[in-house]
Amino acid sequence: MGKYFDLLKQDVRFIEGMNACMNCGMCTAVCPSAEFYNYDPRQIMDIVQNGSDRAIEELLSSDTIWYCGECMSCRPRCPRVNTPGYVIQSLRTLSQKTGLFVKSEKGRQQLAIKRTIGQNILDLGYCIHPTRIDPDKHPEQGPVWEWVYNNVKDVFSRFDAGYDTDKSGAMRRIDEESLNEIRKIFDTTGGTDFFNMIEDYSAAEAQKQGMAETVDGKLRATDEYMELVYTANDGSHTL
Amino acid sequence: MKRSSWEKYQKTIPDDNFYYARSCIRQNFFPGSEAAFLKILKDDLGVDVFDDAKHTSCTGIGYHSDIVPLETIMTVVARQFSLMNEAGYKNMVSSCITSFGLYTEILSMWHHFPELEEKTHDNLKKATGRDFVKPECVVHSSDLIFHFRDRIAAKAKKKLVNSVTGRPLKVVEHIGCHYAKIFPTAGIGGSEFPYVLAGMVESWGGEVVDYPERRHCCGFGFRNYLVQANRGAPVANSRQKLESMAPYKPDFIVANCPGCTMFLDKWQYAIQQMEGVTYGADGHGIPVLSYEEMAGLVLGYDPWDLGMQMHQVSVEPLLMKLDIDYDESHKFLGNNGKYISRPTDCGL
Amino acid sequence: MAAKRVIVIGGGVSGMQAAITLKKQGMTPLLIEKDINLGGKLCRWDRLFPSQTPAKEVVESLVGQISELGIRTLLCCEVSEIARNEGKIEVSTTDGNSYEAEAVIIASGFDLFNATRKEEYGYKIYPNVITSVDLEEMFKEGRVVCADGKAPRSVAFLHCVGSRDRQVGNCHCSRVCCITGVKQAMEIKELYPDCNVYNFYMDMRMFGSGYEELYTKAQEKYRINFIRGRISECSGTIDSGVRIKAEDTLAGRPLKLTVDMLVLLVGKQAPALNAKFASELGITVSPDGFLKGMDCFENATRTSVEGVFVAGTATGPKNVGESMSEAVKAAMDVSEYINTLS
Repeated sequence: MGKYFDLLKQDVRFIEGMNACMNCGMCTAVCPSAEFYNYDPRQIMDIVQNGSDRAIEELLSSDTIWYCGECMSCRPRCPRVNTPGYVIQSLRTLSQKTGLFVKSEKGRQQLAIKRTIGQNILDLGYCIHPTRIDPDKHPEQGPVWEWVYNNVKDVFSRFDAGYDTDKSGAMRRIDEESLNEIRKIFDTTGGTDFFNMIEDYSAAEAQKQGMAETVDGKLRATDEYMELVYTANDGSHTL
Repeated sequence: MKRSSWEKYQKTIPDDNFYYARSCIRQNFFPGSEAAFLKILKDDLGVDVFDDAKHTSCTGIGYHSDIVPLETIMTVVARQFSLMNEAGYKNMVSSCITSFGLYTEILSMWHHFPELEEKTHDNLKKATGRDFVKPECVVHSSDLIFHFRDRIAAKAKKKLVNSVTGRPLKVVEHIGCHYAKIFPTAGIGGSEFPYVLAGMVESWGGEVVDYPERRHCCGFGFRNYLVQANRGAPVANSRQKLESMAPYKPDFIVANCPGCTMFLDKWQYAIQQMEGVTYGADGHGIPVLSYEEMAGLVLGYDPWDLGMQMHQVSVEPLLMKLDIDYDESHKFLGNNGKYISRPTDCGL
Repeated sequence: MAAKRVIVIGGGVSGMQAAITLKKQGMTPLLIEKDINLGGKLCRWDRLFPSQTPAKEVVESLVGQISELGIRTLLCCEVSEIARNEGKIEVSTTDGNSYEAEAVIIASGFDLFNATRKEEYGYKIYPNVITSVDLEEMFKEGRVVCADGKAPRSVAFLHCVGSRDRQVGNCHCSRVCCITGVKQAMEIKELYPDCNVYNFYMDMRMFGSGYEELYTKAQEKYRINFIRGRISECSGTIDSGVRIKAEDTLAGRPLKLTVDMLVLLVGKQAPALNAKFASELGITVSPDGFLKGMDCFENATRTSVEGVFVAGTATGPKNVGESMSEAVKAAMDVSEYINTLS
């Protein structure tokens, strides 16, 4: 087996997710992403189990591994008790650790997720927050959400008094001590390093496209690059 | 609907002593549902459930969009357990399906790979000085409402029955994928014929309808929604479900996952805007309820106190079927009747 | 000179064939069958692959020989305990009797996989999802129809239900379902030439003489569609059809299809009784629960315990011919064993 296969084997999700695949297709049959994307999780399992460095590197550099929605519909069905969704998770982690994610359009989106969801977690202690679901970026949320967004405190106050306070309740303000604990957890467990790694690889890629800037002596992908990866769709992903 | 025996998939659900872990998406879009859940448990059922200001997101959306490493989320989850210990509670009740799936998954991983649990103890200690004891039991908040469904039925002010025809309302139940697809034995009824919501519906007088895409994911897919360029996939999946259920003419949809509840509601608006198609009767959408809202209506709560004004698909046609006395003029008011404003378009 | 008493457990094809051969070798067989008739699972079958021989013919021939040879047979009689004491085999039955013999042949057969365990297929929930056994009974009755009494316009067969499936604890291949699927698909086409018939398979394991030819005929003459992909889930449609989700793995695309009838080709699995026999006698079972012979070759019908022999599907999935051949081998081994007893 090649070096990538050995690296994957260090991920507990790969150990859990990959026994041996007999290519029955039960995973692809119910995969919501396979319905609409040019995507077949069974083939990923087959490529990975064959262990070729060249083929796995191609996967790590491609859009293919980024279509999965991690719904895990594949998991209860596999007659070999594999979990393709877990194998995808391990491939995505490896793609980011090797920097290969910036080679594909869907992979490059990791920066957008890091700068939205990742930032929300570190700033606020929430993955999402009503003040950060901007109707301009979320037209699909519709006019009722726009109303909530524009009147968030008043709307929330009808249900409990906790909004943006230090009391308990929906969308309470997470106290500074708790936020610091979360940030320290990220520092201690590699979460912060992982975020920085996404930034660094993205900065190098952005520089190639003339969309990097130096902030505090460090190269950083610009907001323009972030906006680009957030919206770019070259139309090649569906059949 | 006909189903295989759900008795095979039983799990222990304690009667009392819960630490409540809120959901990012549910408190964001359905703050009234979380408030109602606590009120139902505490006031209607007398259950001890603790709502702690100190807990945070489990970071599950970050984990499942692959920016948060496994070791990090394990430690964040361990901190929630530590807070639960600190507050003196034994059982965890999670409002979020993603969190519920992750708590269950992490406990299972620790069981199979004890060195990961050891490492998590070390990490949490190093980062926060905390230690933790695992919960005796982890349940989803829909498990608790299911557990108490007969007590709720005994206090019901309304049944899930069409007040004009006297017939049971037809309900589509949608179960969040991470409720039972990761661990079928962790969910009431398993992953193929989950009974957690159907049990509530049947206890309260409604009738569950089966439809071909019943088990299909709503399409959220984490990164597939979070990144604007990818949103075609989620809407296409929700559309597939809506198309599949529409011929059965359901009176409403109930979901136990906060994301699914929101998406099945909001995408109906997007589809109407894009294609001019609506799935309910008379150009309306199909109302989508959280199970807390469903329980709240059964118990006679005011729909606007439950937060149903935050839905994009109007719930009024359903409220009329249920013969619920609601005041339209109160719909968009804030606390103590404060006038806010109205959405530019109040829904389908 | 030792007595030549041999107990044969199971009155299916292998048990009957073993008893007949024993008798012809000068032994005194006692045939114990739990059912009301001899014939075992074959009693529910219509015609046999690959020759389309009526199953009834095979059963009647064997039952005829049993009766002609005057072989003592106990019907409706279940084994409750089996032990080996001082070189003798003691078999107790649930009616309170016990029998002693010099040797025993365990020919207790297999269990059919309970298709309700694959919940995702909705057997017993969606009325037009049936098993291969249900279909065989329909063939026997001469009336193959959907739940509403109408002729099916499309039928899909799903291979490997309860076989090659770690989710249900059956890792083994049941061997005969592939050819059964081909046979039944052709029979549907004979009944309803305009019906669209699909076989969803992973591998077509055409191991027997004449099987591959049958598979070719199914494709060439009957235009049956063979789709390489295992069905992942079924659901009922509003008009009582069966909606299938699979992957066409050769095309590499998910596939959705609605048919009037879905036939689940249920596999063979080891009966629970095997574990009891194994523990009482000290013989071994394979990981899938089938009894193990001493080896897979010349001692395949002997076990690690003297005087205990095995035959037929008790040791793993087999077709009718193989079961009968093995029964003859087991009977010959028993005769040889008894003749060497001083």
